[in-house]
Amino acid sequence: MNNWLSLLMVAQAEHPVLADTVAHAASHTAEQGAPEFPNVLEILHQTSHGDSFLINLLFQFRIVAFSAIVWLILGLLAYFAFRKRALVPTPIQNFMEWVVESLSNMITGILGERGKKFVPFIGTLFVYIFAMNLFGLIPGMFSPTSKLNTTLALAICVFLYVQFTGLRSFGILGYMHHLAGSPKSTIEWCLVPLNLPLHIIGELARPVSLSLRLFGNITGEDMLLAIFATLGVSILSFTHLPVGIPLQLPFIFLAILTSFVQALVFTLLTTIYFSLMSTHDEEHH
Amino acid sequence: MDPKTSIGFLLPLAVGVAAIGSGLGLGKAVGAAMEAMGRQPEAASKIQTGMIIGAAFIEALTIYALVAVILIK
Repeated sequence: MNNWLSLLMVAQAEHPVLADTVAHAASHTAEQGAPEFPNVLEILHQTSHGDSFLINLLFQFRIVAFSAIVWLILGLLAYFAFRKRALVPTPIQNFMEWVVESLSNMITGILGERGKKFVPFIGTLFVYIFAMNLFGLIPGMFSPTSKLNTTLALAICVFLYVQFTGLRSFGILGYMHHLAGSPKSTIEWCLVPLNLPLHIIGELARPVSLSLRLFGNITGEDMLLAIFATLGVSILSFTHLPVGIPLQLPFIFLAILTSFVQALVFTLLTTIYFSLMSTHDEEHH
Repeated sequence: MDPKTSIGFLLPLAVGVAAIGSGLGLGKAVGAAMEAMGRQPEAASKIQTGMIIGAAFIEALTIYALVAVILIK
């Protein structure tokens, strides 16, 4: 993510005005305390001075716009991979099949054979989150997951689907019974007033912790990269040349690792929530 | 002291304190997982899944501190 530098160098060569804008955007975000790389829409918004309606609209909804780019890329990739399905797969079809198969193995490994019907949902979550996390490493783009809007939306989807699964597999009474901590003996029934609020709070805390974990990790990672890139540029600022030291380079590898691990953690926790909601009854029978 | 200055001093410290606890917990969890993997290499994938989930829960505590810092600032 040395986009600050590369954009600055490219811009300096072609448009001196644009270079000023990029530098201004960088210093402007630095003033606010949380350094961020300027993204394409921010730069377009500042160069157009709010004249163009389309750019204003896109800038207003830039988080949605960038996630739309991500799902467009993923959708096109899937379309071209499976357009001409063959027994002897093309390389891209082979790759996609490998992704689907390993995700399916991971999910059915935890949920068992019943987990097959959750594979599309959870697998899509993994691929989408991983792509969005990595998207911030492309110069001029930013990770939609580094904003709470995206992660909270995903976590609420997971929450609703998990509750729906619980309602469907237990029935309404069984679901209440499950929420009350599955009491059996008299002592356990006496403890229901204590257990019920605990379980409800526990259920409600899940989307909060899911979304905050992803948001915090990706924001922290992007901020770290931006801070080190700014440091690398400001070290050489006395030369007044558009050059800098790519100090953020080692952290990019860390960022790739974090992106993968966080997508995996989100997926795994979702799978665990599904298994808690659907296996409880069948284990005893 | 100016409240902003004290916040500026204390917020990074809060993340640091949270990181100490998370570091101790992660060290314990990952160490035990590695030992288990060394004893039973055939169960490595199952242990790894459990370890990653546990590590995510432990690490979340530091992330909460970080989120609080980002939001308060």
